[in-house]
Amino acid sequence: MHIRSAMLFAVALSFPGAAVAQMSRAALVKQSDIIFIGTVTQVGAVAVPEVPPSDRTVVVRVDQVLEKPAPVALTAGDSVTVETARAGSLKAGIQATFYTTGWIFGRGVAVREVGHEPGQSPVATADAREAVARARAVVNDADLKAHIQRAAMVVAGRVEQVRPAELTAAPTRPRRITEHDPDWQEAIIQVEDGIKGAQAGEQVVVRFPGSSDVAWVGTPKFAVGEEGTFLLHKDSTTGSPRTMIAGRSVPAYTALHKVDVLSKQDATRVRDLIKKP
Amino acid sequence: MRARVITVGVALCVACKGSEREVPKPPAKLAGVRVVDLIPVSLSGESWQDAEPFLALYASNPRLMAASAFTPNPGGSASATAPIFVSDDGGDSWTLRNTLPSQTMTADITHAVGGNPPVLYAGIMKVPDFPLNELKANDLFSPATMRLQGFRADIDQPFVRTSAVGNADRVYIGLNDFDAPDGRTATVDVSLDGGTTYTSRRIETRNTAGQNGPSIRPAVAQDHTVYVAYFGWRSNAGADVTSDVVVVRDDSGATGATPFRDLVDPSDHLPGRLVATHVTIPWSNAPTLGQERIGSTLSIAVDALHSDNVYLAWADRVGTGDIYTVHVRRSTDRGATWSSDLRTLTNATDASLAVSTNGTVGLLYQQVTGPAGASRWVTRLEQSGDGFATHQDLVLATVPAATPPFQFLPYIGDYNGLLTRGNQFLGIFSANNTPDSANFPQGVVYQRRVDFPTHRLLDGSGAPVAVSIDPFYFSVPVLP
Repeated sequence: MHIRSAMLFAVALSFPGAAVAQMSRAALVKQSDIIFIGTVTQVGAVAVPEVPPSDRTVVVRVDQVLEKPAPVALTAGDSVTVETARAGSLKAGIQATFYTTGWIFGRGVAVREVGHEPGQSPVATADAREAVARARAVVNDADLKAHIQRAAMVVAGRVEQVRPAELTAAPTRPRRITEHDPDWQEAIIQVEDGIKGAQAGEQVVVRFPGSSDVAWVGTPKFAVGEEGTFLLHKDSTTGSPRTMIAGRSVPAYTALHKVDVLSKQDATRVRDLIKKP
Repeated sequence: MRARVITVGVALCVACKGSEREVPKPPAKLAGVRVVDLIPVSLSGESWQDAEPFLALYASNPRLMAASAFTPNPGGSASATAPIFVSDDGGDSWTLRNTLPSQTMTADITHAVGGNPPVLYAGIMKVPDFPLNELKANDLFSPATMRLQGFRADIDQPFVRTSAVGNADRVYIGLNDFDAPDGRTATVDVSLDGGTTYTSRRIETRNTAGQNGPSIRPAVAQDHTVYVAYFGWRSNAGADVTSDVVVVRDDSGATGATPFRDLVDPSDHLPGRLVATHVTIPWSNAPTLGQERIGSTLSIAVDALHSDNVYLAWADRVGTGDIYTVHVRRSTDRGATWSSDLRTLTNATDASLAVSTNGTVGLLYQQVTGPAGASRWVTRLEQSGDGFATHQDLVLATVPAATPPFQFLPYIGDYNGLLTRGNQFLGIFSANNTPDSANFPQGVVYQRRVDFPTHRLLDGSGAPVAVSIDPFYFSVPVLP
């Protein structure tokens, strides 16, 4: 297994252009949402009529799907149209790990190549899967570390109270009635573990949109009793950077990205990432 | 007015696309009706709430269409673009292409096709931060991101209509512009040069309650008459807004220095005919009607060949125990006078109007029916050739209103879409996507994998997929 993995890592990565050739597998994974092992069956061709053929399109038979979004119907044996990054970079019969992004979804899937990793045929799928999973973990850790670095405060704690936000700054214009109104709420979090910029025992106020509107779908919402690890950012969104708690004026924070709200158990991972150089 | 309903009782053969995707044919179908789920087979695993659908037609090529919904880029939340649906076979099949410059999804989108050459114009609220983006694509099938032509913040519900004049398209984007002075926010961004430049035209001339309602809806006739309907919000108390329903008109395509002043109300001699006054708009940004929010249902349609003939639909609360009631009225004298209600539809929303070239009006709407706990969303297309003295009533879908549970609002949409071309009404609506022939009395074709005998949606590997809201395209023959 280790020998196979080493071999897989040793094969030359095939990317368009010299600069791109320096990309790591993690960089490829970071830019990709559909990753699969496949074999080129046709060059200058397409698998579905919705995609115009060109000298950059190839048809690839999927041997193994390594990563894909849940909605995408893609399984081993399917033929995928790949728009290659560079014409002539792939020949019929080549088997490779393809790093791609979704392009056109119709009777079949068409993807755009980010890069590919040619393998010795047959590519060891278990090793490739493991390598991609490792790369994805590296990407996720790097993303989370960047979020941690941008956060003003990182705490593990419990939501004690949720209340409507009182935005104290003088409004620059009348309040507008729109279906996209965020309906700002405030969650008061009892800090149990001050990981960055806070102490255990503190209370912090986090603003979040209470609205169910489509504009705010995916934005974390808070509920009383919820526990977690929270990456908090000084409120630069509502126009009212401070709020009141127990009669005191305090900074207000936001946690608007899905990565800003993690499980309580993720506190250990967050601490480890903070320590990492 | 009590209209006589023409019963539909004709046979229909649904397009056959393989046994897995074909509905067993129930009786009593209208010939020539098609209903197609837009989700392509390659996205069979999706379970998103694809609400608020919209449709654009290419007059120069009946096989080309564009459609949209709150459908995310399948690539996920890190995607820099949002998708649009495209059909090149007259709506029988659809593909999803990520060509909108918005992260993953838009927060609002409408679009229309120009004529010189047939380019696509779109108005979106872009994610993040939700600024207006006025967009253009020369080639619907190009993988390139749509080109930005205008943008600004603080607007709501861009609604695009177009007309072709000589070598330049005219583009009319109704929107609620919160930066408009004096709380007169009803605005139409007008471009007379194919979207190269836009001028914001304020159409409200009366005092408001601080703003107008979100829906500002243009309609354009071939003689360049442009009507715009909007809600003149006059006061609000709690969640109820007291509003006028107003129509303005411009007789020369809004090319003049002070456009939309050609229709004056006799009561105050101000531009904008007051079709209804002091109606109660229940503004509810929470699940209120079959899990849907309510508060700004509005549609206007003009007979493209006879611009004196115009229909208007809006929804309010009449106070007879209703949640929300759609009203339909008509003017045959360019908006100067209006009928009383031709149709009054209790607990309905998402009214969309279109007038065919033979003068037949189409009314698409979605209505909650049945007792609590067993209520259903019923999507209907009504047609009338005599101003709703009589009409044909066609049920396109009847689905459970309580499932699936809402993921966000709007549940099925703050609007849907109805257009007409030749002898067809062409439209789009969103609904529960359970593959059950009883839910689609006119038949339905799925592109995505389904198993009709078990009423299940299937992913690419054949595993079950949760029921969700999908957009459905339809075409219905116009009454002769």
